[in-house]
Amino acid sequence: MKYQVTHITRYEYQQRASLCHNLVYQVPVDHTFQEVKKINYQIHPEPRSLAMREDFFGNKFIYFSIEEFHRKLSVEIKSNVEIAEPVWIKTNPKDTMPWENVVIWLRSAEADNDIRQFYLESAHIRFVDEIRDYTLQSFTPGRPIMEAMLDLNSRIFNDFDFTPGFTDISTRVEDVFLHKKGVCQDFAHFSLACLRSIGLAARYVSGYIETIPPPGKPKLFGADASHAWIALYIPETGWTEFDATNNLLVNDRHVRTAFGRDFADVTPLKGIVYSGAGQRMIVNVDVRRLE
Amino acid sequence: MIETYLQQTGNAASPFFDELAAPNGEVREHWKKLAHAYDELGFEKMEQRSREISQELRDNGVTYNVYSDPDGINRPWKLDPVPMVFSQQEWETIERGLTQRAELLNLILTDIYGDRRLIKEGFIPFDLVFTHKGFLRQADKIKIPGKFQLIQYSADLVRGPLGKIWVLHDRTDAPSGAGYTLENRAAMTRVFPDLIRENQVRKISSYYQTLKNTLTKLALQNKENPRVVLLSPGTANETYFEHAYLASSLGITLVFGQDLTVSDGYVWLKTLRGLEKVDVIVRRVDDIFCDPLEFFGKSQLGVVGLMEAVRQKKVTVINPLGCRILENPGLMAFLPRLCRHLLNEELILPSVATWWCGHEKEKKYVFDNLPFLIVRSTYRSYENRPYIGSELSKKQIEDLKKEINTHPYLYVAQEVVNLSTTPSLIDNNLEASNAIFRSYIVADTEKQVYHVMQGGLSRSFPAKDGLVTSNQSGGISKDTWVLGPLPQNPPQQPANQQPLRQVKNILPSRTGESLFWLGRYLDRAVSNVRMMRIVLKIYNERDDEIHPETDQTLVILLKSLSALTGTLPGFAAEDQVKLTQPEKELLSLAVETSRPGTLAQSLQSFLTNGYAVRDRLSLDTWRILDSISEELDLMKENGDNLHKIYHNLDQFIIKLMAFIGLNNDNMTRASSWRLLNTGRFLEQAMNTCTILQAALAIDVKPDVEKQLMELVLMSHESLVTYRYLYRSTLQMQGVLNLLLVNEDNPKSVAFLISKIDEHLKQLPDDNSEGGLSPARKKLLEALTMIRLCDVNKLVTPDDDDELSKKKLHDFLHHLITTLGQASGAIYESYFSPTQSQYSFVKSNNPLPEL
Repeated sequence: MKYQVTHITRYEYQQRASLCHNLVYQVPVDHTFQEVKKINYQIHPEPRSLAMREDFFGNKFIYFSIEEFHRKLSVEIKSNVEIAEPVWIKTNPKDTMPWENVVIWLRSAEADNDIRQFYLESAHIRFVDEIRDYTLQSFTPGRPIMEAMLDLNSRIFNDFDFTPGFTDISTRVEDVFLHKKGVCQDFAHFSLACLRSIGLAARYVSGYIETIPPPGKPKLFGADASHAWIALYIPETGWTEFDATNNLLVNDRHVRTAFGRDFADVTPLKGIVYSGAGQRMIVNVDVRRLE
Repeated sequence: MIETYLQQTGNAASPFFDELAAPNGEVREHWKKLAHAYDELGFEKMEQRSREISQELRDNGVTYNVYSDPDGINRPWKLDPVPMVFSQQEWETIERGLTQRAELLNLILTDIYGDRRLIKEGFIPFDLVFTHKGFLRQADKIKIPGKFQLIQYSADLVRGPLGKIWVLHDRTDAPSGAGYTLENRAAMTRVFPDLIRENQVRKISSYYQTLKNTLTKLALQNKENPRVVLLSPGTANETYFEHAYLASSLGITLVFGQDLTVSDGYVWLKTLRGLEKVDVIVRRVDDIFCDPLEFFGKSQLGVVGLMEAVRQKKVTVINPLGCRILENPGLMAFLPRLCRHLLNEELILPSVATWWCGHEKEKKYVFDNLPFLIVRSTYRSYENRPYIGSELSKKQIEDLKKEINTHPYLYVAQEVVNLSTTPSLIDNNLEASNAIFRSYIVADTEKQVYHVMQGGLSRSFPAKDGLVTSNQSGGISKDTWVLGPLPQNPPQQPANQQPLRQVKNILPSRTGESLFWLGRYLDRAVSNVRMMRIVLKIYNERDDEIHPETDQTLVILLKSLSALTGTLPGFAAEDQVKLTQPEKELLSLAVETSRPGTLAQSLQSFLTNGYAVRDRLSLDTWRILDSISEELDLMKENGDNLHKIYHNLDQFIIKLMAFIGLNNDNMTRASSWRLLNTGRFLEQAMNTCTILQAALAIDVKPDVEKQLMELVLMSHESLVTYRYLYRSTLQMQGVLNLLLVNEDNPKSVAFLISKIDEHLKQLPDDNSEGGLSPARKKLLEALTMIRLCDVNKLVTPDDDDELSKKKLHDFLHHLITTLGQASGAIYESYFSPTQSQYSFVKSNNPLPEL
């Protein structure tokens, strides 16, 4: 499937700003099932310095600074990507390894540290007994990992309400669990907390989903901004992606921009600005299917 | 003296090792000369020397701050007159051990931020590194050219019961104490020159030379003439004293985060002349506080974009960001094997026995032996205090075990070491106390080896007081003496010592701002004291209560004091309550620190600004600052007694004048001096106008006016000048001429304004279009007003004036406003405007209670 992705972020400051430094994680990446055909970015006002960098997790990010007085800042990133059907779509969940074996395998010498780092706690992910108990209702003894995961995915979808504005990025995963409300970030963080609490390796994926659904299909949650979901490591298939916000096994309607331990590693736009007062942000995301 | 100590400690059955006393009850060989000397001196003389040391340290302004304590700022640094002593022979092992450990840690650091082969090959457990907050992924694959990544290193050493030296902590993030060590040695050398000579105590200076040399060599750009700065978290930091001290002894610029900015990938220092490129940053700010963009977003101590500048190889940060991973005590458990693997040697200095809970077997050992262990978090911070196993309740032990089971890799347990004892002079007695010795190691990039300081900082605390090792929590410092001549003779000088070069004087804008305010508060305090003295003098001459109608002079003086201190209405309030009972308000104007405008507040602000620029002030100047600070405390103690306060006022004048005199004498006529004086003269000019307006531009009876004129002249130290110049009775025109117009009189407003203008003319000017800067325009306006005014007319009322001094009043009002505008313009053009730092990602939505 081919998509054109447009991500526009606009900041308006209450007072003029003299300087800002920023990190942008909004550039779609090449990936086994995703090919980036074209990238264009425009930043206003013109940055004094700008550099494309690669981070510890292999993501691309843009660093830029603006060193003139400005009251508005806009970052516009346009890209064309082609998404292929991932290999896990063909996997029969029942044929996957019992999840406990994956836990053991991850701790063996065979597993790579690049994978193992995703079963540890991180800035937003803590091990909580209650969350572990919740997870074990799906991950029953000996159950194939993918089958258990799909079950967990749909339980989260059914038990939690998609409620914009209730949480923000500082909301703890325990509180998301308590209130069972949140947006895609919270759904993703909660999924990660579940999986890591039982010893599995799972990572945060940020990206986009198609804005206007094909005829006859419902519009997905999280389509009007950056979206987030997770990838679980399954030895035979590799990183396998699940979207709890939409109760989906990810197919070809998700565009990936970055992978990390959680939101903190891949915040779409992070910046420090020097000004006399606060600011307002408007985000516009459009993901359009091409032919 | 020594005999008593030997009886206490020298006993073969004692489980402790004593530094001085051998088990056979004799003095150890390398202590013999010292022990003999102490016996000769006796307690009385030792106590006297101890007082001399305290005096010496106080005179040098050696202090530290305690964060949690509001009175914890500027605590005097304490030094035991009895040093920690190492014999030549033992030191040889320690030195080799420290060098080896530095080499080893350097290799580990290089690997952790490089290929991570040691982790892949199982020499270091992966979760020991990946769960540690000191593993900064942003710093991955970034290298300083050359073999040294670990530039500065400190190890805390202790001695166990069998006399063996152990490493207690490795300090690599931003190790502190080298400045205090230098001060300790200076004080000891002053007080015990003979002992230092007789014992052949090794000099520590080559460490600082090597450090300076290395810092200069690490510049990536601008190698010819690199700019090195020391980044301090600020004046409230516990070791701010030594940041200022080290910066000035190494000849590098002391900066705070707000002084630096990143542009074009370079780090720049904001100076009065504009931006100056920075090549090397020696940081005393912890790594995750160094760049709010990439690390801890709320940090106000760092420089936004610093990590990117490092990535672009435009600046070198020492120690490199990410070094804190080496402070992970869990690593200690793996060092012996790593040492064999990487260096093909046995580890010379063992670490305190350490069990990392990330391994099941070790965790079990820890659980079984908790009462004998100390449990530490792998990441050192103020929140993560160690757990002392023997002091935990059953419940606490269960909670701790549960926590360790959840995050085993975040904890280590260490053996409780029965530390050796060493003599300390406490309360007229030699007491056996425990000591921890901090060593200092720096990479010598020229010789490609690690250089170990021939001494260091020891801290002692009462025996068996637990492992308290930070000055935050107490303890007394000790100088550390390594005895005997250096192995190679003569001592080597750095191979090609750079010729001393005149470095262009750079002044960070923030420092400039502090100097300006230092000047303003200095003269604010002076005017304040002088006026208050006169008020008190007149007030004390009375013997009954005040009647506002008849005691006009005093009433006007009191109102003038309110005007001068900016505490109106105060005595000028309608109800006159304060006028009839002025004592309470007078006391408040003297001692209330939290009230703006009071003498105490002006002095406190003066001291704060002085403290912020202490690296720019001479040692004698610090001493004056300290003595003003002490006098301020004394005045506050006298808070309810105006007579005693009068005496304090006299002292303040003497000390403030000493400060002014010393700076006129000592400071080079550079920007810093000019800004200080700009602040002073501006303050003086405005204060004179305020006093003239409040005390003389009013209608009163002729005899009161005469008295007031005399007192105003007195408050400006100008009565004698007046008499000399006019040889007549006091007349308003004469007084105004002298204090406003006469440009030969250094006290006149006109003189002060032209002085300010002269200073501004010499300061770097960013007004590139030529012509006068806005500030100088305002000064010219004020000066012209004075030059053109006709004093006779000012004091002659027009027919329609209700008040006879209206013209004078309005004139002074206009003058004060213009000077205020000049001050604002100076501020705008030289100092950074206050803008706050905002983070894009905000998070403060509180959740509703369920």
